[in-house]
Amino acid sequence: MLTHPSQKTALDQFNALPWPEKTSEEWRRSDLAGLIAADNGDGAFSVRWDAVPPEMIHAGVILTDLTTALKQFPGLVAEYLFKTGTPRGLTKFALQNQALTRQGLFCYIPDGVHVDLPMHSWIEPAGNGSPLFPRVLVVVGEGASATLIDERRSPADSTAMLCNEFTEVLLKADAKFSYIRLQRWNESARELFGHRAVLKRNAHYSHIQIGLGGEMSKANLETILSETGAKADLLGILFGSGKQHFDFNTLQAHEAPHTTSDLLYKSVLKDTAKSIYTGLIRIEKEAKQTDAYQDNRSLLLSQGAKADSIPRLEILTDDVQCKHGVAVGPVDEDQVFYLMSRGLPRAEAERLIVSGFFNSVLSRVPVEALREELAASVSQRI
Amino acid sequence: MSTPLLEIQDLHAEIDGKEILKGISLTINKGQVHALMGPNGSGKSTLSNALLGHPKYKITQGKILFNGQDITDWKTDARARAGIFLGFQYPIAVSGVSVANFVRTAMKSCAGANFQAKEFRKEFKAAMSALGVEESFATRYVNDGFSGGEKKRLEILQMTMLKPTLAILDETDSGLDIDALKTVSEGINRLRGPELGILLITHYQRLLNYILPDVVHVFVDGKIVRSGGKELALELEAKGYAPYEKTAVTA
Repeated sequence: MLTHPSQKTALDQFNALPWPEKTSEEWRRSDLAGLIAADNGDGAFSVRWDAVPPEMIHAGVILTDLTTALKQFPGLVAEYLFKTGTPRGLTKFALQNQALTRQGLFCYIPDGVHVDLPMHSWIEPAGNGSPLFPRVLVVVGEGASATLIDERRSPADSTAMLCNEFTEVLLKADAKFSYIRLQRWNESARELFGHRAVLKRNAHYSHIQIGLGGEMSKANLETILSETGAKADLLGILFGSGKQHFDFNTLQAHEAPHTTSDLLYKSVLKDTAKSIYTGLIRIEKEAKQTDAYQDNRSLLLSQGAKADSIPRLEILTDDVQCKHGVAVGPVDEDQVFYLMSRGLPRAEAERLIVSGFFNSVLSRVPVEALREELAASVSQRI
Repeated sequence: MSTPLLEIQDLHAEIDGKEILKGISLTINKGQVHALMGPNGSGKSTLSNALLGHPKYKITQGKILFNGQDITDWKTDARARAGIFLGFQYPIAVSGVSVANFVRTAMKSCAGANFQAKEFRKEFKAAMSALGVEESFATRYVNDGFSGGEKKRLEILQMTMLKPTLAILDETDSGLDIDALKTVSEGINRLRGPELGILLITHYQRLLNYILPDVVHVFVDGKIVRSGGKELALELEAKGYAPYEKTAVTA
């Protein structure tokens, strides 16, 4: 444990709370049993990052692992760790992570500091088979801006792995932050993944989920627009083959007026891969003149692939713009014929169609240099 | 006499059990331009799709020979790589894929290891400028939100780059205003040469004012009912298809 005082409380709460019912709305489409850790975890993993330029360190930027951060900046970490509130979804697992986490990533951008180049970090299991409980904490100060690509990898020879991760993001007033999680676990990895971002006045958050690996990926991603003018772009790309199973739930919580959220998740599935998307837009009574959008599209490359999409709205006020859309379907055979008539073999034609399908998400990645890099990662996976 | 470029022998094809092509025979030699003219619903597009092996159309009888090789059972992409190009009547939009990326990928598929990126860029730029399209065209998504003229220009741009030996141009003139028709026709004429055979499929004679055919075929109800020289097109313009349609019914 990190020996943080709130961890003892979290452990008590975790023990007091029963495991969810398999028949509950949250679990009826995904196998719960395979995600319950057999032990309380001593799973070792490494947290690494590319060195931050010296002038940024001089300006007070911190990118380091969580245990080192606790030693070097105990006051700072204590001020923000475990402070984004209890998530509405995967609560038991979030408490488990809070109680048991010993390591993770800490990223801190002081007020007014602009980190121009994208930062890069990654987490990789050491492979002793025990469950992992990584914790990521990001704090972006007032008027500060940064981009972080946070990768998940598995060593080539690694065996099955269970990971229960939780990420907290705090954007202070006028902060601007792009967080890209590039998930490339190996094919036998199973993960639970909680995320809670709190956006203060006029903060702008771009959150990009790229899910390429893992046998099972169950995520609950919450974005809280807590003060006026906050804005969130929530993007997702999921590519599944074999028996991969993605189950993503998102929450766009508008708690203040003049807030905007725009979500676009796209998945492509082949073989017998499956994706489930459930998403809630909740607009509180105070959140007048809010814009909220949610769009989920899936492309099925084989008959055995499946995608479910369940959007929900809870709007407690009027004077809002709110829209959601869903589309699921196979590859357009006319497109395939057109591309094949130019000499592309069927597999190549599908690859091009898929990369085009994802492009509407990738083209919204705010840093241009990153778009190609991410497109290459996705294309390699296809 | 050398081997014909394309030899269609008594081709029958059906879609959903309904026969559309009812025994077509047609021979095109290298360097020739053939015009296939027929009214709507005569099966012109079925022929062009069947020549490219569209999976919706089932060949029930007959053969397609290309450079003497029987390609009747070949997959669409293999026909394209062998040198057959289809200019679509209704080009398909592929959202998220840029024109440049699409053409580059197609050329890589056709040229394999011989593909040269540097040469490609040079040629591509020249081809775009010859067709009067701006450079921003290259970064737009394939046929996505294109006007009729832009779509047909893109077809001819692809034809220019892929350098087929047989081009089947399906209603290339449809949806074009007179200026676009001129540009597109000039684009096609530039590609004419001793190695290229062209099958122009069209309803109207007007395209043939710009691209002079060597042979004209009248196509009615799934069959070629008459073949002749370019004067046949003018006769069709004057009299329409009605006399042939009657023939087809009474035959």
